[in-house]
Amino acid sequence: MIFIAIILGCILGAILGINAPMISYTYSSYLAIAVVAALDTVFGGIASVVNKKFDIKIFISGFFGNAILAILLTMLGEKLNVDIYLAAIVVFVGRMFVNLGIIRRYYVEKWTSKFSKKKEKSK
Amino acid sequence: MIVTIGIACLILACTMFMQFKIVNQTDITSIETMREEELRQELANWKQKYEEVDQQYEEVEEKIEEYKNKKQSDSETAALVKEELEQSNLLLGKTDVEGEGIEITINEAPDNDFSIIKASDLLSIVNSLRYAGAEAISINEERILTMTDIVDINDTFIKVNGQRILAPYVIKAIGNKSYLESSLVGNGGYADQLRNIGHDVKITQMDKVLVKKYNGEITYKYISD
Repeated sequence: MIFIAIILGCILGAILGINAPMISYTYSSYLAIAVVAALDTVFGGIASVVNKKFDIKIFISGFFGNAILAILLTMLGEKLNVDIYLAAIVVFVGRMFVNLGIIRRYYVEKWTSKFSKKKEKSK
Repeated sequence: MIVTIGIACLILACTMFMQFKIVNQTDITSIETMREEELRQELANWKQKYEEVDQQYEEVEEKIEEYKNKKQSDSETAALVKEELEQSNLLLGKTDVEGEGIEITINEAPDNDFSIIKASDLLSIVNSLRYAGAEAISINEERILTMTDIVDINDTFIKVNGQRILAPYVIKAIGNKSYLESSLVGNGGYADQLRNIGHDVKITQMDKVLVKKYNGEITYKYISD
């Protein structure tokens, strides 16, 4: 069920994104960091669904909050002449791997249990 | 729950594709999209290149200047040599010359076997003209040069420059016309002497006499530099 929602959302988003107007290259670094933040939140959301701890308020606030914070950090970094966005990327990507690990573990366990059940049944 | 994640995915994919589009369509190497540091680097590179090219340009410019100088001096010497050559040709009689002077026409006296015009008569006239400062002389269009011979052949005809010439004799001379004429006429003038023995000598002063060039080849066999 959740995969259907993700795939549908991605396809619709892709169509929208392709038809969207061009944004100046100046803002592309902000957009990129926002994308990474949003990606992290989505993975976090999926992981929480898997863990059955999903909270819509936390998800939405995280989705926008992380993205905005990441953009603000990038701007600050540009003003300070420090590449703060690198830190944001490290944190987000690290969390993405953690969440991905949780999701992976869940499904692997699910499938192995299914498999073993089938085996038991066939026995 | 699922709808929320779907919407989140939609927004995510939307922004992602926007970003892809930007990255795809933007020329990263073009100046507008470069970061300050890259621009600085590029600027330094171009500056260095500019300096190198400028140096090369200066070297080439110097070379061109050198060649130009050389060429100028070459053409100067060439012009000098040419002028000299023209001058010597003029003096030697290898060019047509023009100027004020006189024209002497001598018609031999009819039926007078004793006093036909001889080479010595012509020589005397030429000498007189030379004495009067003639710069160029020709007899029947044969230019009188330094080694011109005026000789009788068997008392029948006269050869000038090895060419046979016949009466009437037309002698042209360039020089001061009144000097030239006065050297021939008057007391003891050779033209008068010729007239006295019956020849018809006509002298005309002209403002423009054309003396033709010597047509043969001037060659020296025994003279060496």
